[in-house]
Amino acid sequence: MLRKLIKFDLKSGARIFLLLHGILLAVGLSGRLLFMNHLDFSEATPALVSSIVLFASLTLFLLMAVCFCTWLLIAVRFYRNLFTGEGYLTWTLPASAVEHLWAKIISGIIWYTLDCLVVAAVILMLVTGQNVTDAYSVIAPEVTAELGMPLSTFGLYLFIVMIISCFSSVIMTYFCIAVGQLFPAHRVLCAIAAYFISGLIIQAVSMGLMLLLKLFPGINLSILNGEQLAQYMFSAITLSIAIMFAVSAAEYAAVHYIMKKKINLL
Amino acid sequence: MSPILECRNLTKKYGGSYALSGLNLTLERGEIIGLLGPNGSGKSSLIKLAAGVLQPTAGEILLSGKAPGAETKRFVSYLPDRSYLGRQMRVSEAVDYYNTFYDNFRPERASGMLDSLEIDRRARLSSLSKGTLEKVQLILVMSRDADLYLLDEPIGGVDPAARDYILQTILTNYNENATVLLSTHLISDIENILDRVLFLRGGQLALNASVDEIRTEYGKSVDTLFREVFKC
Repeated sequence: MLRKLIKFDLKSGARIFLLLHGILLAVGLSGRLLFMNHLDFSEATPALVSSIVLFASLTLFLLMAVCFCTWLLIAVRFYRNLFTGEGYLTWTLPASAVEHLWAKIISGIIWYTLDCLVVAAVILMLVTGQNVTDAYSVIAPEVTAELGMPLSTFGLYLFIVMIISCFSSVIMTYFCIAVGQLFPAHRVLCAIAAYFISGLIIQAVSMGLMLLLKLFPGINLSILNGEQLAQYMFSAITLSIAIMFAVSAAEYAAVHYIMKKKINLL
Repeated sequence: MSPILECRNLTKKYGGSYALSGLNLTLERGEIIGLLGPNGSGKSSLIKLAAGVLQPTAGEILLSGKAPGAETKRFVSYLPDRSYLGRQMRVSEAVDYYNTFYDNFRPERASGMLDSLEIDRRARLSSLSKGTLEKVQLILVMSRDADLYLLDEPIGGVDPAARDYILQTILTNYNENATVLLSTHLISDIENILDRVLFLRGGQLALNASVDEIRTEYGKSVDTLFREVFKC
């Protein structure tokens, strides 16, 4: 049953997802062929710098927009499929609440992971031209010294954190929507309120823990050398992942309870 | 064998008002039962509770002795009073969906009914008229070999000619051990197919009698009795 639920969930969102990410890949490829490959780094002119800044800003905006749309797809699928008219079909399928929840979690994680992979592929596509790698090799030792590790390793760590955060992001989205359904009216608005309130609480707790563990980024960061910076980053990332797991576990328990005991389609 | 549906002190409250208040009811197998009552009497709430899309505030509802859950949903076929299929789906995809998830779905039965109503399988549900969409939904629900059919206003949005077809569909597609619980305001249209009627008023049972009892004891049709009982 779980497999069937996941299959239909992925199928129903596939068209929008493929369209969005197809466009992103096409734009990435065009950017590489029409812009990045024609950059000449031999002379750092103001025109070169401003064009790179403009292109990077646009690319960043596009990547963020696609990530947002993926998140929206996951959130809307969950909400529409379980809590609107479609819920009358979904909740009368011979599947348990836990199966419904895990089907949504797994399909959400699949969407997010694919999104991360496409985003990473587009970034790699843009920065792996011969002219860019040659230009980077000039400043590579400096960057490595500053980061305490090669840029590629740093990027890989960021990618891993991004993949891990897919799970917590999906659970948090579902948690907020499920909490919104506990209210008798204005359920979408209540879900948005739950998102901001829970986000605020998590931020406050994270900051408190960072202060307590002396990991709060601040006054001493500028005088760290590369090795210390890398160590700081590992500690901060480890703490973030630990908080992420703890929060996700609590949110999962809440969603599980709501879906099992509090489903009321109006 | 346990009754197909049993309510014990079933209560459903929305905010400060009661949709159902301490309802006790037992339904046996093999009957077509009309669930009748004015607006807000708790008809849809009772059906939703049985379908498992609503949770009781107090009391319990049992289907074949089990609380609504994955197991009961195997033998309960539910038609809500609204559109519940993804609007972007095609008719054929909706049939596939039912065929995938319900072991007791009979695609050949659905095909036969779609053909006789000349409904295009390639049509998107969003392109169908309200009446045709309701027919498609009813066809899907009645194409299952269920033990309990819960039909919430199945003929509300269709023309009188289609109503006859739908009622005929209900009659010809349930087996003698199955129970059909259907709610409607169009009592005179369904009166002839009913074995039993339940009158709900203010979330409580006002009458539970067979249609024959109503005719012999009250000497009235169900429609006439309803108008008298619920006279404004």
